[in-house]
Amino acid sequence: MNAIKQALLALPSIFLLACAGHQQSAVDAAGPQAGRIESLWWFFFWVLLGVFVIVITTLLVSLSRGHRGIEQEPLEQTHQPSEATEQRLTRSVSVATAVTIVILFVLLIVSIGTGKEISDLGGKQNAMIVEVTGNQWWWNIRYVSNNASQIFTTANEIHIPVGRPVMIRGMSQDVIHSFWVPNLHGKRDLIPSRVTTEWIEADRPGRFRGQCAEFCGMQHAHMALWVVAEPEPQFEAWRNAQLQPAPAPSDPDTQHGRQVFLNNACVFCHTIRGTTAGGSVAPDLTHIGSRISIAAGTLPNTKGNLAGWIADPQRIKPGNHMAVLPIPSEDLQPLADYLESLK
Amino acid sequence: MMQKTLDVGGLPPFSISTDAPLWWGQFWMGIIECTLFAMMLGMYFYLRLSVDMWPLPGDQLPHLLLPTVALVPLALSMVASWWASEGAKQNRRGAMLTGLIANLLLAGVFLALRIIEWDSFNFEWKADNFGSIVWTILGLHTADIIGDMGFTLVLIVLLILGRYAEMQRLGVHVDSIVWYLLAGAWFPMYAVIYWGPALVGGT
Amino acid sequence: MTPTIDTPDEIIDPRHGTNEQHRNRLLAAWSRPGGFFGWFTATTHTAIGMRYIVTAFIFLLAGGIEALLMRTQLAFSNNTFLGPDKYNQIFTTHGTTMMFLFAVPMMEGMGIYLVPLMLGTRNVAFPRLNAFGYYLYLFGGLLLYAGLFTNTGPDVGWFAYTPLSGPQYSPGKRVDIWAQMITFTEISALCVATEIFVTVLKQRAPRMSLNRIPMFCWAMFIQSVMVTFAMPAVMIASTLMLLLDRTAATHFVNPAEGGDPLLYQHVFWFFGHPEVYIIFIPALGFVTSIVEAHTRRGIFGYPAMVLSLVGTGFVGFGLWVHHMFATGLPQLGQAFFTAASMMIAVVSGVQIFCWLATIWSGRVRLHTAMYFVLGFIFIFVLGGLTGVMLASVPLDLQVHDTFFIVAHFHYVLIGGALFPLFGAFYYWYPKMTGRLMNETLGKINFWILFIGFNLTFFPMHILGLKGMTRRIYTYPSEMGWDTANGLATLGAYIIAVGGIVFLANVFMSKKTGQIAGRNPWEAGTLEWAADSPPDPYNFEYLPVAAGRYTMWAAPEDRAVVTGMRDDRREVLVTSVMDAEPQHRYVLPTWSAWPFISALLIGIGFVGTVFRFWWYFPTAVLAGIGLIGWFWPRRPWELGR
Repeated sequence: MNAIKQALLALPSIFLLACAGHQQSAVDAAGPQAGRIESLWWFFFWVLLGVFVIVITTLLVSLSRGHRGIEQEPLEQTHQPSEATEQRLTRSVSVATAVTIVILFVLLIVSIGTGKEISDLGGKQNAMIVEVTGNQWWWNIRYVSNNASQIFTTANEIHIPVGRPVMIRGMSQDVIHSFWVPNLHGKRDLIPSRVTTEWIEADRPGRFRGQCAEFCGMQHAHMALWVVAEPEPQFEAWRNAQLQPAPAPSDPDTQHGRQVFLNNACVFCHTIRGTTAGGSVAPDLTHIGSRISIAAGTLPNTKGNLAGWIADPQRIKPGNHMAVLPIPSEDLQPLADYLESLK
Repeated sequence: MMQKTLDVGGLPPFSISTDAPLWWGQFWMGIIECTLFAMMLGMYFYLRLSVDMWPLPGDQLPHLLLPTVALVPLALSMVASWWASEGAKQNRRGAMLTGLIANLLLAGVFLALRIIEWDSFNFEWKADNFGSIVWTILGLHTADIIGDMGFTLVLIVLLILGRYAEMQRLGVHVDSIVWYLLAGAWFPMYAVIYWGPALVGGT
Repeated sequence: MTPTIDTPDEIIDPRHGTNEQHRNRLLAAWSRPGGFFGWFTATTHTAIGMRYIVTAFIFLLAGGIEALLMRTQLAFSNNTFLGPDKYNQIFTTHGTTMMFLFAVPMMEGMGIYLVPLMLGTRNVAFPRLNAFGYYLYLFGGLLLYAGLFTNTGPDVGWFAYTPLSGPQYSPGKRVDIWAQMITFTEISALCVATEIFVTVLKQRAPRMSLNRIPMFCWAMFIQSVMVTFAMPAVMIASTLMLLLDRTAATHFVNPAEGGDPLLYQHVFWFFGHPEVYIIFIPALGFVTSIVEAHTRRGIFGYPAMVLSLVGTGFVGFGLWVHHMFATGLPQLGQAFFTAASMMIAVVSGVQIFCWLATIWSGRVRLHTAMYFVLGFIFIFVLGGLTGVMLASVPLDLQVHDTFFIVAHFHYVLIGGALFPLFGAFYYWYPKMTGRLMNETLGKINFWILFIGFNLTFFPMHILGLKGMTRRIYTYPSEMGWDTANGLATLGAYIIAVGGIVFLANVFMSKKTGQIAGRNPWEAGTLEWAADSPPDPYNFEYLPVAAGRYTMWAAPEDRAVVTGMRDDRREVLVTSVMDAEPQHRYVLPTWSAWPFISALLIGIGFVGTVFRFWWYFPTAVLAGIGLIGWFWPRRPWELGR
């Protein structure tokens, strides 16, 4: 009820909301691809709005009595207007059709042009390749390189340097997902047994939220990701940190936490590089402490949330593939402390 | 009030020809089946073009002898069907019976040859997508053939029992159009399944 | 025009005696047994058509309730009204119900009811097939809802993409029920398509040449052709590929064994796109009928309208890849589908222009039906324009699978099909029931629906642009989506009120509505020559066409057909092009075999949901039903 009251009061401003910059918005471009698309959007919008106004105006005018420049037809008897009227109407309809064809043709050319432009972006010398593999309901992220020591894996969060083209290579481990970060580009489906590709690029720093855009099962609603665009030096720092194995725990609390992790079923699914945990069917946790969110964008990454997640993942994301592990409460906090320390 | 009238009392209450609505209805249902077959052929090519080798490794292309020989009774069965249809138009019971029985027997021979051929397939429908598409096309077509044979059998029984008049003769006539479509549809499908891989670059 | 109880003692044809004697014999020939069991023997098109309409309307209500449940859950962020499993079943069932159990059957029902009347014949070409198709449809719908109410409802979206809907990721019977329901409804649609196709070609009033066919009949005819070429694709996708992959371990669309999920999408959308035109084209026919009667003139540009309908039907088969722009297909192919998707706007545009020209040059009467036509123009044009946006690949890549798409297709489907349908209800209700619906309530009905609809779906355009993807059961509060969602939910409840007002009008008018007479709108097409409601045999003497609008022709130009027998069910078969009489045709009388056959086949198909080998007993059961159906009964000679 509260929301409905709110909604009524906000009614006038609803149309302004579209223009306001916002996260996950296709009309708040932060990269050249999304920028081209946004321009195309506004072009289409204004042209087609004009068409709509003309059609509805014609309709309304045709309903009013006063417009009749034509002679009064004895329609009651003949049910047919005069030859002259029909000819005039034929001319009008033909003109309208011709104008329609021209407008559509223009829109077609502009659209194809934009499409070519977008796909020509990227591929320059300093491009980067990131493999994104969709899983039910999280994103496996793998930075590839020709140099094997430069390859690393993370999950649910992608960092990119501002101004550099990045190729997203999309795959899926199970069903069809769709990679979509609207501030940067349109979406690309992730299809099992295929590889799809898309170029993205950020032209300003920021955190851009994305979300899976192809229904993929029970928790499709909670499969989001973050793309963090940062200046080159900061990106390098992040990348170097990601390449390192997990930092060793420095105090008894976190050491205990690591022990809890390694003694439980966590290791069957998750990897923490630098430990013996090498499971590959769940997000890589090597540097989970440094991520913005957990559970694929479902919760902000805080100790409390992490503990709550581990204690009962099914309550937060029912149906997801993480089991409810019987971890006693005295182990839960150290475990969360340990994982948060993995920056 | 005087009504102008158009008198049709002199027109017959049936027509055993392409004028009959039933002919058009059966024709249209045959088109529906052919659409299914055409789409399955499209799928066949789609699956073929998505792999390098076709048939897939381990699958052996069906032997050509039996299916090619089977085309003969199939073609003859279409002639038999035509004979029955002519008999229906001219109300000749003998022609109808001969045609329908010959059609049924020849279709049976075709079916038997096909079933024998199936024994020699070294791939199941569950093996891979080559198996899936080939078996599904064959299965669907066979089901249609058996269905029409059933219809033909019922007509034969009615003719033998003498339990027939104009509408049943119309039934014999329209049975032929369905048979032409079903049997005729097999020829392009045969070409694709048995000759396709050789012509379109398979093993 | 046709002599009736107005002139009971007059003799038109001496072979039939007086009009009253003629009428009584016709009534006897065209009646069926009464009572409970008698209901299952009906074969007249008005009876079967009405069953389709009522059943489809009930499914519309069911789909609407599902929509209300969804909107309630989405009214604000992090709502817990519905959990993910229930929500996923409900949104899937909503889409499935609206597309397969409401929209197509409703259009078919209207077609079955109206086309024979408009063509001036007594019944469709294959009355028992007609009944059979209805029962199959009913059983399919019952199967789906039996699934939903036992927590076995499908939960993979109304188009059930693989591999999500495949055996690995959707174990259990949910998707199997969905897939087999499709079989029921698609066979039903194919039966109706055959009916309409043959009836329009072969059973028109004498002298109703092709260029004199009412526009609604053209629309239904074209729709029938589309159904014939589109429905097999969905049967292949759902029953063959998906169901066989699930129950018989084939590998069509299972990527683990060389199958291709995109093959499913191609085949499904090859059906799916024409499907929306299958729903939409009959509605265009409604619009023309209503506009002609409410502007007192024949439609402007009849040939252009017909060609546009044909063009829509044709081009509609060349658009399907625009549902797959995000899958990474080659650019050249995408450009082709962009061009085709934009081209269809031209043929739709021509129709809009012709209606505008008709309204411009006619003498407009703004009854409720016309209000719905105006609403259609507003809403459908808006939806069509967002469709032009979606044809553009770059734009589609942003808004595909978001609420923008949800807004678009509801605008074109509700605007393009549902508003004309409501107009059609108001327009033909007097024909179907003999009474007019209440005008004041009708206009209130219109405004509630119009406002409610726009309030619900317009904000969704904005939501899509702001990143809200579709098919999510909830969303976080920091996204800023709450306001628009709240508005949309409010709008949904307003639509519900509109629905209730409509039902109130329907039931109230049946008792207290003004008596309509045969032609309350003074319209021009032949259905208005029959009684309101029509007798089971439609016309006492079949009409002869006089131009395109026989009811507007001068009385001295009108004629009727004599010489048909009135002691059995007879119709006149005419030639395809010029409708010259060719022969008379005896239709079967009432029969329970269509119901029995549908029941037997239905049992068989339900079995296949559980075990693949049930196809074999199904074939046997079908055979039994069909033999009973066609077994000749005395007398089998036709005589004269």
